[in-house]
Amino acid sequence: MMQPVLSRRNALGVFGLAGLAATAGCGSSVGGGDNGGGSSSGGGGAIKVGLIVPQDGVYTPLGVDMKNAWDLYLDQHDGMLGGYEVETIVADEGEGPDTGVPAIQGLITRDNVDVLVGIVNSASALGSAEAIAAAKKVLVIANAGANAVTGDARNPYIWRASFNNAQAAFAMGEYLAGQQPEGGVYLMAPDYAAGQETFVAFKESYVGGGGTIAGEALTPFGTTQDFQPFLSAIPGSGAGATFVFYSGGEAVSFVQQYASLGLKDSVPLYGSGFLTEGSVLEAQGEAAVGIQTALHYSTEIENPANSEFVEAYQGAYDVLPTCFAVQTWDAALVLDLALAETEDLTGDSVSAALEGLGEISDSPRGPWSFDGQSPKHIEYLREVQEGDGGLINVVVEELGEYGQ
Amino acid sequence: MTEWFADNFVSILNGLAIGSLLFILAVGLSLVFGMMDVLNLGHGALYLIGAYVGYQFTGGVSSWSGFLTALAVAAVFGAVAGLILSVATQPLVGRGHLDQALLTLGVALVVAEVISIIFGDDVQNVVAPPGLNESIQVFGNTYPAYRLALIGVGAVLAIIVWLVIEKTSLGALIRASVSDREMVSAVGVDNRKVKAGVFAFGSMLAAVAGVLGGPVYGARTGLDETVLLLALVVIVIGGLGSVRGALIGALVIGQVESLGKALYPDFASFMLFGALALVLIVRPRGLFGSRVGAG
Repeated sequence: MMQPVLSRRNALGVFGLAGLAATAGCGSSVGGGDNGGGSSSGGGGAIKVGLIVPQDGVYTPLGVDMKNAWDLYLDQHDGMLGGYEVETIVADEGEGPDTGVPAIQGLITRDNVDVLVGIVNSASALGSAEAIAAAKKVLVIANAGANAVTGDARNPYIWRASFNNAQAAFAMGEYLAGQQPEGGVYLMAPDYAAGQETFVAFKESYVGGGGTIAGEALTPFGTTQDFQPFLSAIPGSGAGATFVFYSGGEAVSFVQQYASLGLKDSVPLYGSGFLTEGSVLEAQGEAAVGIQTALHYSTEIENPANSEFVEAYQGAYDVLPTCFAVQTWDAALVLDLALAETEDLTGDSVSAALEGLGEISDSPRGPWSFDGQSPKHIEYLREVQEGDGGLINVVVEELGEYGQ
Repeated sequence: MTEWFADNFVSILNGLAIGSLLFILAVGLSLVFGMMDVLNLGHGALYLIGAYVGYQFTGGVSSWSGFLTALAVAAVFGAVAGLILSVATQPLVGRGHLDQALLTLGVALVVAEVISIIFGDDVQNVVAPPGLNESIQVFGNTYPAYRLALIGVGAVLAIIVWLVIEKTSLGALIRASVSDREMVSAVGVDNRKVKAGVFAFGSMLAAVAGVLGGPVYGARTGLDETVLLLALVVIVIGGLGSVRGALIGALVIGQVESLGKALYPDFASFMLFGALALVLIVRPRGLFGSRVGAG
């Protein structure tokens, strides 16, 4: 879902200082294992898991959520997955493939891990696909949503426990086609792979369902601080609703400016769920109330697994879990289930076990299954409302199941 | 024509607001670069400090006392940081821009990392003070009141800076240093003091710009690079060492960033550098930079 932003290096390169900055910008570090031990004690033996999450750069908050969820799962399961005692080796993904790919390679060759979990950035996932296939190690992706990862550029060892970019947009497109907002829908997204995939998926379902596009704008990714020039075109377009895909810092700026330019009350805002997920929601504050988004998770989903999960997560870390935490939780969950079925830890055996899983019934997001190597799960229509402890994404309705 | 104006009124207004902010940010960089030939790549980090000072003292609550305290604290912080940078770059005088860039960029990286350690990497929101944290109607368009106020603040600061530089003896000294550093030394003025003063003043403005820009851009990691880039483009367009140049450059970039993107959204990515390239082709020393030989 996310790609690297304009880095310090790119910015300065313009002024001919690229060489000087080249070594300065990347502070990648590889953390040591935190579940020390890992000797082959216990009945089922031991497994080395490489957890690769961002610990540096703009995606650090996601990395924190992901590691929290992973640790929580292991804590609750005595440090075991499928009968194997787990040794976790944490590596820093950084922002982009320039740090992510070497980190994955390090885990494979130096640390000799059995299984990899994590990856926020789709480019890092795509960039390391070859190395993973060559090493025959299973990677369970806990975020990276580019369709190609488990689509065109698929390989048998890369599985995804998160989502793909098209799902939320497709679901929202169908929903808005049913609503038929007068004047059509205005589309906005950052100009990079995930934004473009969102456009394509939304149009496929929305225009296919009889809706009209009032206008669209792809904003420069990573360099747009001020959305006013693009937002000012919306009233003139006569749009009855706006659908956007933004996340992180851009989501905060966008939602606040959408409200402060008076658009929030006249043209309702819809989005892919990352628009109002996690820490960005807090920063958006009042401006976010009433925004409706589609996503595969909300803390407010009512099922026993979710209430248990939310309570445990809040108890351990004193914050509400995010979809990023759930995705990592589910990565641990599918590995737990699959490893219980395998004879050995080779990539082929683990892959075969993952393939044979069928429905994963006790996930916090609700029941889901692998469609190909990516989840088929329920998309929820969520609305931002004032809750007891701040803003929350209330589930309005289920939009149905969506797959690869 | 009037219809065109009405359609794009908000964009033009917004261009002025962004231009004001850019002027406050860039004028210090321009004076330091133009005058002492010091390329301070730590300028963006000073803005970032200001932004986080703003966040620290307002903390998501709209209050005048918090906002004004933040402004005062940022001003002091900025001035002290400017003095430190001035002293730190002193030994590098005459060793070329690359050494200065290396030092100030290193400082900027350290500052950005320290801020990230203290405040984390979450995006933080800075709320405008009461009365300004809402939107008002301007000729039938809804527009944030804070940004309107920003235009006023920018105008006032521009006039003050212009008066100081153009109409006072201190300003004369600064202008003389811009024009011919050696000659100013030769008549018995300690160059280093002038430089330290300008450095402190420019850095103070950068930190103040961070607080002022908080309600527009927020506070988050990576913002330092973005604003440094904008400031560099502004001073290259305006010409080094000139208050007027910084003002015109800031207003031009403000409109390019706002009106330009609104009119030609498809070219949004190239617009900033397109304007830069155009100016460099037509006026290689910037619009108002003809007097200065720096660079």
